[in-house]
Amino acid sequence: MLVTFKYLAKDTPIQRLDPRAKFIFLLCFLFSVTQFWDLRLLLIFFGIAMGYYALAQLPFRETRRAWFFMVFFAVVLVGINTLFVRGGRRFETEHILFRLPLLSLPLTAEGVVFSAGMIARMLSIAIIALTISFTTNPQLYGVAFRRLGLPDHFAFAIDLALRFVPTLARDFSLTLDAQRARGYEVERLRGGPIAQIRKLAPLIVPVTIGAIVGGEDVVNALDLRCFGVTKRTWLHELRYTCWDKAVITLSLAMLAASTAVNLLGYGDFWLPTWVAAL
Amino acid sequence: MERRSLWAVGTREVVYMAIGAALYGVLSWIFNFLQIPGAANVAVRPPVVLPLFFGAVFGPWVGLFTGLVGNILGDLLSGYGFWIWWDIGNGLLGFFAAFALFSTKRNYALAELWAAIGIVIGMGLASLSEMWVSGATMQAVIIENFVPAAATDLVNGLILLPILLAAYMAVAGRTGR
Repeated sequence: MLVTFKYLAKDTPIQRLDPRAKFIFLLCFLFSVTQFWDLRLLLIFFGIAMGYYALAQLPFRETRRAWFFMVFFAVVLVGINTLFVRGGRRFETEHILFRLPLLSLPLTAEGVVFSAGMIARMLSIAIIALTISFTTNPQLYGVAFRRLGLPDHFAFAIDLALRFVPTLARDFSLTLDAQRARGYEVERLRGGPIAQIRKLAPLIVPVTIGAIVGGEDVVNALDLRCFGVTKRTWLHELRYTCWDKAVITLSLAMLAASTAVNLLGYGDFWLPTWVAAL
Repeated sequence: MERRSLWAVGTREVVYMAIGAALYGVLSWIFNFLQIPGAANVAVRPPVVLPLFFGAVFGPWVGLFTGLVGNILGDLLSGYGFWIWWDIGNGLLGFFAAFALFSTKRNYALAELWAAIGIVIGMGLASLSEMWVSGATMQAVIIENFVPAAATDLVNGLILLPILLAAYMAVAGRTGR
């Protein structure tokens, strides 16, 4: 079983960014966009997200499965929910466009605009988050979180986890083959849901217990090398470039401006007059 | 068995954090994405037992890390990006499962109880965050997010946890660890 991360090594402006700058941008974007309900502002954030995504130059064939998931979640779950219940908001007047046949549910102008805003908000966040996984080298996660202030032990554990991924995927594949050789039929698990879950134990238990037993050797090897006695050094060093500093500054400015706009009372739900007139 | 503080983070905890997170990430990817035939239709998230197990056996930090980083790894392998509030929710499952103190008390019922508490708190907080992010109502997040996530995690986690704990105790007893 070949397990690979979705990272695509390319020379684009987003790929060249320091991972710390990308994480800071993601957090600032998340806390900025969630302060607003105004469709106009949410569309601006959606434009920023699409611009960021375009700069990463990700091929659609690599990201289409993620796009399907994002669009399904944003449109079907969030969009339809907010279309009819509008996030629990009560509007003084509601402009009914028409009623759904059979269910007699009213479709209102407020619902349509609110739903469009929430779809834009969800897609914006998802697009920025998606870009990180395709543009950040997994080898840099550990050192990036260390430099962001995570203690050495936890940052090293991230690094170590990434190294264990291919080994454990291979162990799972071997276990599956071994159980099949003993007559275990994963394709035909019989019984009710509970019985079927119990029958997955022959796959999960050997892999987990095998990994734990093997982990004792890693513990001993690290202890013999005096792990944790002094401050760690890292193979990969991260240095901010002027672009990274610019992205971090702009991210913080975006968050500060969004908070200021919100505190001044702007950014609440907005209904275009032409929609209300329909 | 060596008695350690519940909150200690030494070499052993670091290694089991890494193993737990890698296992959770890989198995989440396999079960959710490749969809093992026959298991996919009912066993929605069997790997959820891993943060519960690692939390119960190795402590709250290992459980938290296994759930949080493992969920991120699973999403990275699938190319889904970061859904930080669900990652934190998964971390909390393992964090609260640790309060059963299984490595000292060896009480399976207590382990199940704390695992259930962890699932309700973890999935509850992750679901509630959807109100903030996607503007959904409390009623909507309970029906659309909390109930499906918590119910499948409770069924999968509570069935598989005692099996894994029993297997671990057999190995730990044999090796004296």
